[in-house]
Amino acid sequence: MTAVEQVAIDVGAIRRWVRRTQSSHRERGATAGNIYFAVLFVAIVGGMLHKQLAVVFWPAQPNASELAGVSLVLVGLGSLFLAMRRLGPLGLSRPAASWLLTAPVSRRRLLTPSLRLAALAAAIAGALFGLAIVGHVATRPMPRTVAALLPAVGALVGVVMLLIALAAQAGRGWSSWGDNVAGLLLAGGLAGFVVDSAVDAPRASGSWSATVVGAVAIGLAAVVAGLMAVAAGRLADTPNERILEASKTVGTLLDSAFGVEPSFVTEMVERRYWARRRLRSMRLWTRVPVLVGQDLLLVRRRPRRLVWLAGAVALPALLAHAPAWTIGVAILLGGMVAGATSTATVRTDAGNPVLLRMLGLSPRQAIAQRMWVPGILAGLWSAAALALLRALGDLPAGPWWALGLTLGPVGAVAAVRKARVGFVRNELLPLDTPMGTLSPGPALNSVIGPDALLLGLPALVQIAQGHPLSWTTVLVQALVGAIGARTYVNLGAARTG
Amino acid sequence: MVDQPAVEVAGLYVSYGSTPVLVDVALTVPVGAGVCVTGENGIGKSTLLRCVASLQRPDRGRIRVFGNSPGSTPEFWRAVVTTAEPPTWYPGLTVREHGELVCRAHGLDPDEAGLDEALERFGLATHVDAVPPSMSSGQKQRLTLALSLLRPSSLLILDEPEQRLDPEGRASVAGMLNDYVKNGGTILMASHDSVFAEASGTEITPMESLGVTRRAEPKDAAE
Repeated sequence: MTAVEQVAIDVGAIRRWVRRTQSSHRERGATAGNIYFAVLFVAIVGGMLHKQLAVVFWPAQPNASELAGVSLVLVGLGSLFLAMRRLGPLGLSRPAASWLLTAPVSRRRLLTPSLRLAALAAAIAGALFGLAIVGHVATRPMPRTVAALLPAVGALVGVVMLLIALAAQAGRGWSSWGDNVAGLLLAGGLAGFVVDSAVDAPRASGSWSATVVGAVAIGLAAVVAGLMAVAAGRLADTPNERILEASKTVGTLLDSAFGVEPSFVTEMVERRYWARRRLRSMRLWTRVPVLVGQDLLLVRRRPRRLVWLAGAVALPALLAHAPAWTIGVAILLGGMVAGATSTATVRTDAGNPVLLRMLGLSPRQAIAQRMWVPGILAGLWSAAALALLRALGDLPAGPWWALGLTLGPVGAVAAVRKARVGFVRNELLPLDTPMGTLSPGPALNSVIGPDALLLGLPALVQIAQGHPLSWTTVLVQALVGAIGARTYVNLGAARTG
Repeated sequence: MVDQPAVEVAGLYVSYGSTPVLVDVALTVPVGAGVCVTGENGIGKSTLLRCVASLQRPDRGRIRVFGNSPGSTPEFWRAVVTTAEPPTWYPGLTVREHGELVCRAHGLDPDEAGLDEALERFGLATHVDAVPPSMSSGQKQRLTLALSLLRPSSLLILDEPEQRLDPEGRASVAGMLNDYVKNGGTILMASHDSVFAEASGTEITPMESLGVTRRAEPKDAAE
């Protein structure tokens, strides 16, 4: 039992054996069928969307300023780094983490496929960002060499970001610092977009020299090759617990995708966030109803969310040059998102109402109390966003801040309704469409919540028309919102029983 | 390797958020000994086991397993088996195929390693073609233990191995663990069942005797 032979185990052979054994249990041709459907899906969707994709990545004429280009670079760097950090970037499937991570196999060989996959994904993401930036910003015509090299530079930058994320995964001290910097880059990029939409920033002038771009590409390639060799050599040092964490994340994402159930991911993110926080028990504020006190405490415990929310006030201004109704929709959706920053408690109660029952509140009281904080957040956010649009001259004259405040109840109803929707109902009858069978559960779940934004119709019409705002419209919106919220509380109480 | 203790822990600190769980914990398990740590829920038994198995990084402290830092080398996993992390089963693989996988991952031939006998000993002979997720929680626990004992090892790190087993199963597993220790293996386990621990040939060691421990979050707080 304790005499252990020192034999070299080929982890690749074990993986191949697992795949072969798994596929031997499938029906004949099932694997080929899956590949066929995947290729067919890509071909059909690609055929349908190629024109739209071309506009996104390579418009007929460059249409963005240099400032927008720089902002897009910042957004790309920040979001790519944060996404890779959330996913690992180095991980294993959950079964492999259980059975191969704990086996006497070469750690480097075990993790190499994951590194390759991550490098490929990072390079593709980087190349797409590079292509989009060049397509929107660079002056044309440009030398063919430059057009070909810039996406390659993007791909290399993507791999550099991956290597930094890898080091953050293996290290400990500076990983959260790195996340903060990436968050700042993202925020900086978004701020750049807002400034770009408000001022008339200059377009790029003059084309880039092929020599400079080529030199940058060669330099980056050399850096990537060197760092990649170091990363591959250090693969074995990646701590077990970091790989386990990444494998749980990827597993939950896959569960969520297969079950079309986003709540798995939301729940995992919440659980991890609170597990790492240092908390000190506090007394609830007694001057407000108990659930309002709870929501206020939780909002206070996530100050960073409030900072992001405050920053996001500027985002509707990005749509200054788009049709006016899109600004209206953005304001309504933004109000819902602002309200939803404090509906985690509602989601918990919808998933398992044991704790709510223990409080002995009537369903009507519970829903009404839960709507206070989302309502305040949605109202303040909408008021700030509309006031900013007015200040930037994107809206005609009028008391827009007051209209924003009246959107509070609308955002609250939408956010609370969305949070109370519960699990996706996969038992609903599937619909046969020319594109294949469609399960109505996920579609239904995504509509419940935003549908309540119809209560903001008076504000939407007002913004879309582009006329000066009168106090009558504010009053109408206030009445519609208040009646809608009251009806929702009554109906919701009747439904929960 | 023999002159080194199997497990040596000194000055171990772990906390979850603001809750300290293990404070200055020390533990030594000599080679060929069995130690069963006991204590109330949330005292940090599982956390200690996870740290020794390198599945959780402590805030501070020194851990040595057979004289080396626990972790990512093939040598470590050749010597150590742990059930501190509940397994995820490969979709589409049967009970027997999971056994074969474990054998292959350790360079063993399934027949020579006694895979079928091991499954039979754990009362799983009639379930060799089942897929593990479809079995009861007790059967899955039996399978996990069967696979842990099937592969060669020098140190077993088991988290409440008696959980979900019926009385007969407990007695039989305790007998097998006892044999493991008698044959020179080392066991570090956590349990609430002192009868099971004694029958397994392990010495009961209360967590309180290992240093200052504080009440912790529930076990899944580590996730």
